[in-house]
Amino acid sequence: MKKILSVLLMALIVGTSLFAAGEAEATKSPITIWAWDPNFNISIMKDAAAIYQKAHPDVEFNIVEMAKADVEQKLHTNLASGTTDGLPDIVLIEDYNGLKYLNSYPGQFSDLTNKINQNDFLKSKVDVAKIGNKYYSMPFDSGVAGFFYRTDMLAEAGYTAADLNNITWDEFCDIAKEYKAKTGNYFFANSKADGGLLRIMLQSNGSWYFDKDGNPYVKDNKSLAEAMRIYKRFIDEDLAYPTNGWTEWVGSINNSTVPTITTGVWIIGSIKAASNQSGDWAVAPCPKLSASGTNASNLGGSSWYVLKNGKSNADAIDFLNTIYGANNNFYQDILVKNGAMGSYIPAFSGVNYSKADEFFGGQKVYDLLSQYAEAIPAVNVGEYTYEADAAVMANMEAYYNGQSIEETLEAIDAQLVNTIL
Amino acid sequence: MANEKKINRAGWFFIIPVASLLVIFLLYPIFYSLYLTTTRTKGIVTNFNGINNYIKLFNDPMFFLALKNTFKILFLQVPIMLTSALLFASLLNNKKIKFRGFFRTAIFLPSVTSLIAYAILFKMLFSYEGIVNNTLLSLKFIQTPLDWFSDPTLATFVLILAMVWRWTGYNMIFYLSAMQNISGDLYEAARVDGASDITSFFNITLPLLKPMILFTTVMSTIGTLQLFDEPMNLAQSGTTSSMVGPNNCFLTLSIYIYNLCFKYTPKFGYAATVSYAILVLVAILSFIQFKISSESEKTVTKKVSKSIK
Repeated sequence: MKKILSVLLMALIVGTSLFAAGEAEATKSPITIWAWDPNFNISIMKDAAAIYQKAHPDVEFNIVEMAKADVEQKLHTNLASGTTDGLPDIVLIEDYNGLKYLNSYPGQFSDLTNKINQNDFLKSKVDVAKIGNKYYSMPFDSGVAGFFYRTDMLAEAGYTAADLNNITWDEFCDIAKEYKAKTGNYFFANSKADGGLLRIMLQSNGSWYFDKDGNPYVKDNKSLAEAMRIYKRFIDEDLAYPTNGWTEWVGSINNSTVPTITTGVWIIGSIKAASNQSGDWAVAPCPKLSASGTNASNLGGSSWYVLKNGKSNADAIDFLNTIYGANNNFYQDILVKNGAMGSYIPAFSGVNYSKADEFFGGQKVYDLLSQYAEAIPAVNVGEYTYEADAAVMANMEAYYNGQSIEETLEAIDAQLVNTIL
Repeated sequence: MANEKKINRAGWFFIIPVASLLVIFLLYPIFYSLYLTTTRTKGIVTNFNGINNYIKLFNDPMFFLALKNTFKILFLQVPIMLTSALLFASLLNNKKIKFRGFFRTAIFLPSVTSLIAYAILFKMLFSYEGIVNNTLLSLKFIQTPLDWFSDPTLATFVLILAMVWRWTGYNMIFYLSAMQNISGDLYEAARVDGASDITSFFNITLPLLKPMILFTTVMSTIGTLQLFDEPMNLAQSGTTSSMVGPNNCFLTLSIYIYNLCFKYTPKFGYAATVSYAILVLVAILSFIQFKISSESEKTVTKKVSKSIK
């Protein structure tokens, strides 16, 4: 009896596993895509897939939404484990992390150099995924920085658009101080722990934590010293409204607590969430660090990468090239629908980019922003941006408390070098 | 004899599944991670590195910062939490108190909330325009709102408060169940001898709870050394945050390991080295705690035997 039972059990186990294997073989595998943010990346990807499917009805898509941290974690564990079964075909990676993945998992990502035309995209954008003379990314949303402000609140305090156009960060601080003295309110919100504005300042000066070859560039980095001085002004003169986390930060503009926000173009969606402020907003170029710097910079933004060992590699590349690499109408649509500004240069002259925006008092916001975008200095963000960021911010407190800039830069350099060892 | 052998063989056969699972999922990872500590890894690029990871560990300011933060939380939070758990347990063990069941449930309830949910809840309570600031303002305790999450001391205070709220009830249940195992005769005898409630707490309850106190201390120590969820969620700040909490005050050892693997360029070898540092610390701390408790046990027995003489 027992024997019969165990034989039956064995047969059942073997049988089901065979059945499972047989089933997986039957259909063509879909293009699997991992990304975060349902209202932005996911929604845009779904639209892109729908357009592609019209011409290629046999291609299926499997668009998986996860939190950003989960995408990164899953990608790391999958790539590190060496098994390719769980890998997607296309994955969204933040630009600061592009080289990190490419260098940590060599041979895992498809070289897109001759597959798409890199000249059609912003140079600052394609360069973040360049190794030697090979390009590995399909550039997606731009993080071009803008200085967004409330015209009504600033007019009340006596400022005009001309006062805010092409200013330096020192002038920005002076205005913030003056505004606070006049109105009793803060001019902008910033978290002491966030290096976002610092990175905006660095890139506007064509500088980064790393030099052109990707080696740490801290000790003699004049731009970094200058940007740190501005951060110290924020603290010493109590210029920034303290916020903790995204919700409070966005809340500070949505609730009219502060009249300005300087950050990437992707903030427009959140600005427009406060529909009662329609017509009260305007944009100016982001402040520059020094007289020699530019009023153009970047914060964040992501790109699509194709996994070489994905199941539908060729389809995935063709899909990206057909939609993201050539479809101008698609870029016009996502600009209106999602507020997504791509980095595809031909789209900048499209009809929706040159439209006046009522929310911004009739300003041609995207036309202006795309002009700023083309002026963004390309920098080598290297593969250790977050390590450098952590090293800088960890040593800022001592600098705020009176440690000299030379000593602080030396401490940052020592920590960064040990971290990337 | 032959029969015994047969039984033995059957026994071995039966433990094969469990044993092989243990080998695959417990022993293999332990030894593999030990091997990892001797490599310099960047994703899948692996080179032999000898003891360089250990040298790096001792030159790493972030590691020592994480160590300092973890121990700060350990030495502040665990004593506060265990003392208040003990206090609540002895109060609620008093049969004269009405609604004991209700209070027990109420104090235990926080420990069934999700780690993430309660961390976010505390973050909201203590936000710049949150209910705590508003209450303190309207009671005129402070003039301007406190920026709880920009100041390391205040932020650590919120973290410890949150953890005490979440875990006190959990530990209280251990103490309560241990207290209910103490025979009522002992208290009665003590009362006959004229001992006050406080005297019997210190001379009966505490000594008899010693094994449970040791257990909760060891568990809380291990838990704190592995602390991850609470600081991680309280620290979420900015769009691309560069610090874990103000001035990195929420950077615990586990968060540092996470960052080494997933936030920074993946250095699994070095991350494994930091994990082994935690292992060594847990071993040392547990050893000390066992040592202390067995020492005091000896003195108790001595005292008792003396008094009998």
